[in-house]
Amino acid sequence: MKLDTSGFETTMPVIGFGSNSEMLDGVSSVPSFDLPRTTDFDGFQKKSVEMVKPAKGTTTLAFIFKEGVMVAADSRASMGGYISSQSVKKIIEINPYMLGTMAGGAADCQFWHRNLGIKCRLHELANKRRISVSGASKLLANMLYSYRGMGLSVGTMIAGWDETGPGLYYVDNEGGRLKGDRFSVGSGSPYAYGVLDSGYKFDMSIEEASELARRSIYHATFRDGASGGVASVYHVGPQGWTKLSGDDVGELHYHYYPVAPATAEHVMEEAA
Amino acid sequence: MQIFEYNGSAVVAMVGKNCFAIASDRRLGVQLQTIATDFQRISKIHDHLFIGLSGLATDVQTLYQRLVFRHKLYQLREERDMKPETFASLVSAILYEKRFGPYLCQPVIAGLGDDNKPFICTMDSIGAKELAKDFVVSGTASESLYGACEAMFKPDMEAEELFETISQALLSSVDRDCLSGWGGHVYVVTPDEIKEKILKGRMD
Repeated sequence: MKLDTSGFETTMPVIGFGSNSEMLDGVSSVPSFDLPRTTDFDGFQKKSVEMVKPAKGTTTLAFIFKEGVMVAADSRASMGGYISSQSVKKIIEINPYMLGTMAGGAADCQFWHRNLGIKCRLHELANKRRISVSGASKLLANMLYSYRGMGLSVGTMIAGWDETGPGLYYVDNEGGRLKGDRFSVGSGSPYAYGVLDSGYKFDMSIEEASELARRSIYHATFRDGASGGVASVYHVGPQGWTKLSGDDVGELHYHYYPVAPATAEHVMEEAA
Repeated sequence: MQIFEYNGSAVVAMVGKNCFAIASDRRLGVQLQTIATDFQRISKIHDHLFIGLSGLATDVQTLYQRLVFRHKLYQLREERDMKPETFASLVSAILYEKRFGPYLCQPVIAGLGDDNKPFICTMDSIGAKELAKDFVVSGTASESLYGACEAMFKPDMEAEELFETISQALLSSVDRDCLSGWGGHVYVVTPDEIKEKILKGRMD
């Protein structure tokens, strides 16, 4: 059973007929997925949405400042209470000047970000110029909107640098798309917002901004059970993105709050 | 989430040569949010008897208070400390009294009995005793703990080595559990002394 996507096709591909033409890039229409043949499709839908629900156990954040965009994330993947991995890459490199963050279902985020990367590249080839952050986030948002209600779990931020300067958009599986200066997504986001909002200034140097991002992620991993592992920090500037640091939060804790060695009460001395 | 996973916990006890060790994590959470990192899960009943309680934190505290009360009454009447086996039966009876509205905790009891022979046991929330000769575990990280203890345990370890083993087993298991960890608390008990140590663990 193929999902009927005729309602979502963009108007009038000039060449050819329907969605089978090879002259068109294969990805401008909504990719069609086979659906399972079940008697109770609604029940199946409901169960699959429930399956992904405990997701979004993560902390990701991004903010715009004077020198560009700072993007940071933790690296823990959890299945209910079990930690399935402490080394997941949650900052996805869409292309050399755009980053996406992953929160929600890992498979969903990885697939759709790669799909977005493909579309961005095709845009570049077709139009001889890079796609804007606004355009890229819109492509992703429209795609996710067409799958609304089907149980995708994606809470992502698209951060990049284009002709208008730094750009940051939040896109989620409900089809929402918001432009902003500061976002944090995931179960650890309330804790990260607390630190991020109180320390944020537009005029920060790259070192100050990366320290703020790192600290925010660290505080979120401390309080939130579903966040942890390694705090990665990336910077997006006019030349593209660079990875600034990846610190293990277990060690960061003792770096920020060193354990004072206990003073010995009685010191043994050598007998003269 | 399940009610046993509401607060998150990890408790383990191991037997050594004429000594025992009992360890727990230190996190108190409300589902995913961490509220405290210094929660006491292991309590002393008398110098040679400790009980560690995992599960719902309010029941952990209430049950501990009831058990201390019963033990103090016993001490007044019998003019001696309770034996670990007797205490285990007492705990089992108290838990079964609430069979149709149980305390939502799983105790781990560790003590030195006659001739300083170590005794450990664990129970489910309605009092089913499980005696073991080597180690017992309980809490949200219990599956990881079983694996770690099985791999690291050797019989007849001395106090120093037992401390190392139980600490490593605890820390590596809670590092795979979102709901427990944030440090560790270990008691190593020999006939002459009780050594209490706080472990430096991953705070995420």
